[in-house]
Amino acid sequence: MKPDLTPSICLLIAVVLSGPARAAQDPPRHLQTYRQQGVDQVDIQNGRQLWYSTVNQRSCTSCHGDNPAKAGKHVKTGKAIQPMALSANAERFQDAKKIEKWFLRNCKWTLGRECSTQEKADILTWLSSQ
Amino acid sequence: MKHKTMMIMGYALLASVLTFSFYGMGQSLASSNDKYGEHDTGEMEYEDSKQHAATKQYPLYVDECGSCHMAYPAQLLPPASWQKIMRGLDDHFGENAELDTTTRQALEKYLSKASSSRSYQKLFRNLGNQAPLRITELPYFVHEHDEIPSRFIQANDKVSSLSQCNACHQNAERGQFDEDDVTIPGVGRWDD
Repeated sequence: MKPDLTPSICLLIAVVLSGPARAAQDPPRHLQTYRQQGVDQVDIQNGRQLWYSTVNQRSCTSCHGDNPAKAGKHVKTGKAIQPMALSANAERFQDAKKIEKWFLRNCKWTLGRECSTQEKADILTWLSSQ
Repeated sequence: MKHKTMMIMGYALLASVLTFSFYGMGQSLASSNDKYGEHDTGEMEYEDSKQHAATKQYPLYVDECGSCHMAYPAQLLPPASWQKIMRGLDDHFGENAELDTTTRQALEKYLSKASSSRSYQKLFRNLGNQAPLRITELPYFVHEHDEIPSRFIQANDKVSSLSQCNACHQNAERGQFDEDDVTIPGVGRWDD
């Protein structure tokens, strides 16, 4: 009798596909915190729009560049900034404290005000999808 | 017989993939747990070294300050300057660099102690009671760099400013500024 290896092979493929590499692309855990803080629905287009908006000649892209999947450069010091897109940099958005630190600083510098929880959820979702 | 061998091989392969996969999952969980850990802002792990070559930077300082610019060795400014800088982080040379209180206090403590090192005192010559915010404003610094033509610094794309110590001083982050270590990008070694 010829043994049927099909189930083993299917299981093997499934295991390989669902491995840790896939997990890195999952939405950041921090979005859960925003949900707990009252964000019912995220607006990915608003996230994108905020990223590319310009206020007083300042934009997220001033330092991060036009393409979040590529490295940016600090507008003043020239120091390299690693890509923000999760697809290009799996290290991003792993540390809740770090996310909040940079949102606070950068929203104030770029938009001249703090970002709302909704806006942060939208931007985070958009960057994670890139 | 042949079939049996193939079956055994198939299961062995499956088992190894499963083992590896679970191992990987464990690893990624372990590393993400580390990342969620708080910064160690307790006892500091630096040594107040008297030797320039051995200047060791505080990891929290490198992490917090070095993400936007070179982590300037604390010894390059007097304690009073650092105090002013750390109290005005919300307008840090035009940028918002504010920190949470715990982190800021840990860095203040480090900067205050590390900048009191005697080995760099010659930098603060002719400073009197002034506490400049920029290293480039120290009279000693100005004196040491006044002969370098602007085409080597400001008009040089690879340098652009005297604030970019490490563009020319190869071991700047380790607190080494010997002239022997100077290489100006696009120009070569500097010897005055």
